[in-house]
Parts: sequence; structure tokens; C-alpha cells
Amino acid sequence: MFVHLQGPWSPLFGRLTLDSIPYGNPIIQFAFAVTVLGGLAAVGPMLYYRKTGYIFREWLTTVDHKKIGVMYIIFGLVMMFRGFFDGFMIRTQQVMADGPNSPGILEAQHGYLPPSHFDQIYSSHGTLMILFAVTPILTGLGNIIVPLQIGARDMAFPTMNAISLYLTIVGGMLIMASLFIGDFSQAGWVGLIPLTELDFSPSAGVDYWMWAIQISSIGTTLNAINIITTIIGMRAPGMRWDRLPIFTWTTLSTSIIGLTAFPILGVALALLGADRYLGTHFYTAGLGGNLMLYTDLFWIWGHPEVYFLVLPAFGILSEVIPTFSEKPLFGYITMVAATFAIAGISWAVWLHHFFTMGAGPWVNSFFSVATMLVGIPTGVKVFNWILTMYRGRITYTTPMLWSVSALILLLVGGLTGVMLANPAINYTVHNSVFVVAHFHCMVLLIAFTIFAAIIYWFPKIFGFMLDEKSGLRFFQTFTIGTTLTFTAMFALGFMGETRRLDYLFNPQWQPLLIVEEIGIAFYCLSVFYFAKLFYMSIRDRALNKAGPDPWGTARTLEWLTHSPVPFYNFAVTPRVHQLDELAWRKSQGIDHEMPDHYEDIHMPRNTIVPLAIGVFAFAFGFGMVWRIWWMAGFGLLAIIATVIFRSFTPDHGYIITAEDIARMEGRPPSGIVNDTHAPLPAMEEKVTP
Amino acid sequence: MFKVLRLAAGLAALAALPGCASSFAMFHPVGPVATSEFHFLLISTGVMMIIIVPTTVMTCLFAIRYRKSANAAYDPSFSHSLLLELAMWGVPLMIVLVLAYCTYRSVFLVNPAAPEALGSPQAQNALGSGVKGAAGAPAPFEVDVITTDWQWIFVYPKQGIATIDDLVIPAGQNVQLQLTSVSVTNDIYIPGALPMIDVMPGMRTLDSFRVDKTAGMEGFSADFSGDGFSWMQFSTRIMSPPDFGNWVKQTQAAPDHLTYARFQQVARPTINEGAKPHYFSGVPSDLFTTVYNATRAGVDYPVPEDVQTKAPFPSPTTGKQGDVKASS
Repeated sequence: MFVHLQGPWSPLFGRLTLDSIPYGNPIIQFAFAVTVLGGLAAVGPMLYYRKTGYIFREWLTTVDHKKIGVMYIIFGLVMMFRGFFDGFMIRTQQVMADGPNSPGILEAQHGYLPPSHFDQIYSSHGTLMILFAVTPILTGLGNIIVPLQIGARDMAFPTMNAISLYLTIVGGMLIMASLFIGDFSQAGWVGLIPLTELDFSPSAGVDYWMWAIQISSIGTTLNAINIITTIIGMRAPGMRWDRLPIFTWTTLSTSIIGLTAFPILGVALALLGADRYLGTHFYTAGLGGNLMLYTDLFWIWGHPEVYFLVLPAFGILSEVIPTFSEKPLFGYITMVAATFAIAGISWAVWLHHFFTMGAGPWVNSFFSVATMLVGIPTGVKVFNWILTMYRGRITYTTPMLWSVSALILLLVGGLTGVMLANPAINYTVHNSVFVVAHFHCMVLLIAFTIFAAIIYWFPKIFGFMLDEKSGLRFFQTFTIGTTLTFTAMFALGFMGETRRLDYLFNPQWQPLLIVEEIGIAFYCLSVFYFAKLFYMSIRDRALNKAGPDPWGTARTLEWLTHSPVPFYNFAVTPRVHQLDELAWRKSQGIDHEMPDHYEDIHMPRNTIVPLAIGVFAFAFGFGMVWRIWWMAGFGLLAIIATVIFRSFTPDHGYIITAEDIARMEGRPPSGIVNDTHAPLPAMEEKVTP
Repeated sequence: MFKVLRLAAGLAALAALPGCASSFAMFHPVGPVATSEFHFLLISTGVMMIIIVPTTVMTCLFAIRYRKSANAAYDPSFSHSLLLELAMWGVPLMIVLVLAYCTYRSVFLVNPAAPEALGSPQAQNALGSGVKGAAGAPAPFEVDVITTDWQWIFVYPKQGIATIDDLVIPAGQNVQLQLTSVSVTNDIYIPGALPMIDVMPGMRTLDSFRVDKTAGMEGFSADFSGDGFSWMQFSTRIMSPPDFGNWVKQTQAAPDHLTYARFQQVARPTINEGAKPHYFSGVPSDLFTTVYNATRAGVDYPVPEDVQTKAPFPSPTTGKQGDVKASS
């Protein structure tokens, strides 16, 4: 032991004791019941229909970019549900605990959550929503769509792709474990320093937070490498840079941000880890530490991370709006320029997260103006989308409804963002719920585009459309919830309500808090409609079969191949002639043309290595959190051994012969939903020049 | 969809109504610093409306006008226009230039360390430098602020007094706060009067303001600092100078003396519900420096072992609370 720890420690169980499990807490009991039921609902049918072998062979060991993407998205949606539940608990606590006379139940003096519990909930809400809901879902979408849009067979490094997925899931599982074993960080998703130091947060909560992010961020970095390599090296013949679809462009820019920003987070957290585990003084207030260093490092990652999330969302808008306006995107070159302008400026604005930390007026002015500059390319994008709709023929399918509403959210979020960028205004609303409402506008804009993307691309992957009727109800309830909750929150920000309050001292806030709670009720309804959306759609899937281009007006390459996409993506690598290749082929009347002959396709073989690395990474993370050194050491060594073992395994993938392809193309090919034909071992893709 | 959106917006606007009037302290600033801030809030928002309003109108208009069922003009070839694209970069650039100028003006006006809104730059330079009253300007009234877990200690070094959770200030005088923390980071804020600034352990920040008429306000911490954060309010009373003089005399007679030894007890984690004030006299004028140096040397002020609670979710009312009040 390097540092003085409170409480017992044993070599076998580390800091873990029976007391670490809060089994007596009714809220935790409820959460446990929900988790067990959810788990049973997922695993039960699998066991009942004897599909475990199928799940293991076809999904858990897969290296298919589409299946990995689907798993990313399912994981992200599950985490989003938990994050939503946290949000629901936060709002309910605040509406109950307003004013000195507000009653308290359970162990709380006001409301139903004592501060130490409430603080964990808002911390996990932020961590989950940003890093384990929105990030994985967007990564998953990039995983599925980018190789299809550029006409590739898979990602550049299929096995590494699966490793990225499992490292992300390990992070999420650590946070889920913190719900039932020990506690979670009480210092916010940003890890407020020096609150995260051992002196102020002696429990394992901060360690859970730190290792969950640390491990998953390695996954994100690996994924960024994968995407960049794929886009640069594996474009189909004729897919020149000036024909690249915008979603691919935004994913490329986002991955460049991810590759360069996430290592900084790694360093920031590693130094915090050194403080907590080795007793160093990087961020302590005394003994030569500098707590501002952490804040700087965190936001040097944190701000690019914001654009890491929002750029793919902009990419989705740039795909959905032209499709449903039946027009090409207005200003393609401007759009690409704006994307990279945003990505570039994202590196020069981090200080606007702490204008109040005492920097001088010149420093604050620099970062303020840099922040406002972001408004220019963002404005350009908005104009591009509006002008795309201008003289279009807009059909309001649900993806389009989500997208147009996302534009409105972007306008509100942008307006309030530029307001916050002025330090003089920032000094009055920093850390208030005005800021919270602002960034929820931005993150919800991303959520809106995510829902648009899921509905838009769902038929491509699964071969049937989602039910538009429950989709519309889902959209309506979600939008009303958003409007009510966050309009009220903006007002409360101007009334001086600070964020992260377990108890609110001003009874005058009550009416608006009730409005927020009504908004949350609409969100709860929207969860119901979301579930109904999938239930109805899967039940009626035979009635809603989708062809290659189910929307009828899609423009990009992914809509050229079958729905569901066969595991080899394209029977013949397409040759690209134009930006918006499918639209061009339609105009030439050659979109249904069949290839005259097939060639052998080289495919990567499935492997258990990524899953194994995931299991070992969890052992490492859990061991480190509870300081069970043997478990952490075993996990780390096992990962290294697995990687070495894998490196010396000769595995060159397998070949699907031209005859097999002809046979499969002759009938509607079985896509990823029902193909049982075991694809085999991995190896790097043949790079298409 | 549009019906739903309109309904939602209407409901939200309606719901916001009862919240108006006095509870928006930020919109009724007192004193020059807060007034400048509010002023620039209005200007910035106004300037942005030049671009936000037409864009919003265009979004809604096009979204409705070009529905397929509306049979409006359809021109799929319209995907590029040099003039429009130049305008869409140029107009936001102009707006940002204007906003940047606003920032430049406002940042110096409300700079918490030496706001020009409170007087000439020369006088302000003198503020932070320790050369009080240089360039003929009146020296600002000084208060040292120390945050603990989870109370505010306001030290009046010249007067030799201190308070817990009660900031008393003479009206019409520039006030400079010097702030530090003995545990974690907080953020001081009095809506409508004092701009936010972080209060950090082992660091010293400055914040300045002035209120010209007597008033009572509520200040609080705006940066999360742990279990007792929600109870970190303090009352702010702006008194006329004679009243303030009386208050100082009264407080100088307080029986409790805030020496550093006493401070070590006071600084233990304490939740002061309802921000009940407490007063000290006999405060050494260098208490702030002593505390600041101690924090930089790694001193902290934990709850003694026997008071600590082992419950997984300690209630704010048990364990960590009541320490100060019990011993004072």
C-alpha cells in the first residue's frame, strides 16, 4: 500500500468487504430488481430458444463492422435508459426538496435522496449520457455506415474494432457494478478537483469513475485509428475525396479529434490515479500540487469531445435532410470546410469552461472570441441545411421530423452558447442551470439526430422498416418533454439556481420545477413509445420488408446494396462516378443493374480474442478499483499474453468463392439478422486502391 | 408536428409566467459591475437576434412551405450558389466581430480582479497591487473570504472581526474580496451584485463590486463542493456607512475570538442549515495569509475520528454536522 487508506484492506479481497454492498437501501434494491429483470428479459429468450450458441458464434465473437455497430448502439441505448432514469431521479429529488419546509423520506432530510446518494446520481447521469450513451451510439453508427458509404467490405482492422467495442462495454459494466458494489463518484462527470482526491473522496467511487472512463477511452482511441485508416485506405474505386458522403467526412473529422484528444484524458486521469494510488501531489492543493492543471487537461480533452459528439450528428443531418427534401445537399464544399473548421477551432476554446477560475481579461478575451468563431461554421451548416430544404419536396417521415427539430434545438443551443461565451455574461450564469439547459440543448440535438439516424438506417441493417405511427408518438412525447423541461430550466438559470443542488433553498423556484417534472413525465411516456416502436416493428416485420432503398429518395452508396446488408456488404465492389452515387445512378437509370460476374471475396474470420480481452480488462478494472492487486495484475498480464498469442496465430481469413456469391445473390441474401453461416477468422482487409 | 410544437411552446411560456417579478435578481442588478453584466447580456442577445430570428423564421418557413403536399416550386438543381455561400460565411463573421468587440469592452469592465466599471484603470491597478489609494483613488473596502466544508468565513482584517455566513458591506464603497478555500473548490456568487469567481484551496482569487444603496441579498456557492454544498448560502447585507460603523463596533464586542487555533475547529466539515450567522472578534489581520500558507503546506481540517460516521449514505443531519455550533 502506497497511500493511507481509510477502512480495511486484505490481500484477497482488497478494499472489498460485505459492508461495501448497500443491500439495505430501498433505492438500490429497486435498481437491482430492474437490472435483474432487464437482464432476464435479454438472456431468458436466448436460453429458451436455445440461441446461446448462435449469439456466441454470430455476435459475441463477430468481427463484422455492422454487427459490432449494432452492439455498440444497443449498449448505448441501454446506458441511455439508465442515464435517463438518473435524470428522472435528479428532477424528482429537486422538485421534492425545494424550500426549508420541504419534507424528506427515506434517509433524506429533504426529498428522498441524501446528498451523498444524489451526488452519485448526477455524476453517473453525466458520465453515462456523454461517454457511455451518446459516444457509443455515434461510434456504432460510424461503424455501420462509413464502410458502406465508401464501398468497403469491413473496417481496416476488424479484430481491433471488436476490441474497441468490448473496452467500451467494460467501462459501462464498471459503472453498473458501482451501483451494487460500493458507490460511484460524487464529484460530477468532470471529476471536480480536488474533490476527487483521496482526502475528500476516500471511497472507491472515484476509482470506478476513473477506470471506467480510462478503459473505455482506450476503446474510443482504437476505434478512431480504425475509422481513419478505413476512410483513407479502403474507399471503393472512384470514391475520390470530393465524392465522399458528408457523414463519412464528419466521422473522419470526429475520429481525428478522438485520436488526438482522448490520450490527453488518459494522461489527466493517470495523474489523478497517481495521486490516489501512489500518493503523489499532481493535483492536490498543498505540497506543490496544482489543481488548475487537472481542470485544464480535462477540458483540453473535454471541449474537443463535445465536437467529437456533435460533428457526426451534423453528418446525420446532412444525410437525412437531403434524402427527405429530394435534393442534393446545398454547398457540399462549404459543408466539408465548416466541419473541419469546427474540428480545428475545438482545440482553442477549452478555457471557456472555467472563465471564473481567475484568468486575466486578455486570456479570457482570447478564449471568448475563439469560442464565438465556432458560431461561424456552425451557422454555415445551418444555412446549408435550410437552403437544402428550400425548393425541395419535403416528406415528413419521422427521421425528418427529428432532424428539423434538431435544427431548432441547435439554434437555441447556439444562441445560449454564444451568450455564455462572453465572460461578462458567463460570470452571472456559470455553473447555473442555465449552462445545464444550454448543453442539454446541444446534447439533445445529438440525441434527436441519433433517433433520426436509427430510424433512417434501421431498414438498411435489419431489412424492415420501423413503425412510423409509434415513431411519431415517440417523437411527439420526447419533443414536448424536451421543450417543457429545458425552457423551465433556462428560466431557473436566470433566477440563480445553481446546478448539482440536492436541496434548493429558494421556494420561489417551485412552479418551474414542477414544469420540469411534467416534462420528465412526457419523457417517461416517450420511453414507453420507444419500446412500443420496436415491439410493433418487430412483430409486423414481415409486412414492412425493405428493399435496397426503402425511403425511395436516398442518395448515397449504402443504399445500393441489399437490405439487410449481406455480411460481405457489396457482391461486387461498386465503382463510384459521382458525389451522391445512388442519386446519379438513378438519374442514369442504372441503379438496378446487376453485375455481370462475381469475384472471390476475402473476408476476416470471427475470433474470441476481443471478448477475452474484454473479460480481462474488466478483471483489471475491477481489481484496480478495489485494490485487489492479484486480480488487476492477472487481468493486465492476461491482456498482454492474449495480444502476443494473437500476433503469432496465423490467420489469413477466408475466401467466399464467386460461385457462393452468385448463389447467395440469386436469392435475397441473408443479411446479418438471420445468417447462420459461420463466417470465420480475421485478418486485415485487402485494401482497395 | 407543428401543432404539437406550438402547443408545447405555449405551455412552456405559460408556465414560465408565475416565475417572473422579483425572483429574477439577475435582471435587476444593483451596482455598476452587475449592471454592466446585465447590459452586455442584453446587447449580446440583441446582436445575435440579427441572425437567430431570420434563421429561425427561414427554418420554419421553408419546413412548412416546401412540404411535398404543398406543391411549391421544386428545383433539385439548386445546390450551390457562390454569392449565398459567401454571405453565409460573411454575415456570421460580421456578427462575431461585433460580439468580439463587446467581449473586449465588457471583459475589462467587469474583470473581477479590477473591474473598470468601478473606476479608472489606474485606481484599479492599485487595487490588486497592495498599494492602496494610489493615484488618488479611495482605497477599496477589503474583506477576506475563506470557504470551509461547508461554510463561508468573512474576515474583516482592518476591523479585526469575522462572521460565518453573513457578509455585511457598507453602501457606496468599492469592495474587494480576497478569496481562498481550505478544502475544495467553491464559487462565490451574489445574483444581481457580485460576479462569480472560483474559490480555490491554495490559490488566491479576487472579486470586486459595489452596491450604492442599502439592500439585503442572498449569496451562495455555485460550484459543487461535496455533501454540504446545497446548504452553502450566506446572507448579504448592504448597510449605510453609519449603520455599518455601529455593526462593526457591536461585532468587535463578540465574545468568540477567531485565532488560528479557533479557526482550526471552525474549519471542520460543518453543514450550517439556514445559514445561521455567527460572529467573531479578535481576529488577527493576517488570518487569511496564515490559512492560505497552511493549505499550501498541505494542512487540512478533517472531522476528528470519533465524530465520523460509517454509514454508506450519511444523512446531512448526522455525523458531520453541528460541530461548530456545539463548541461555540
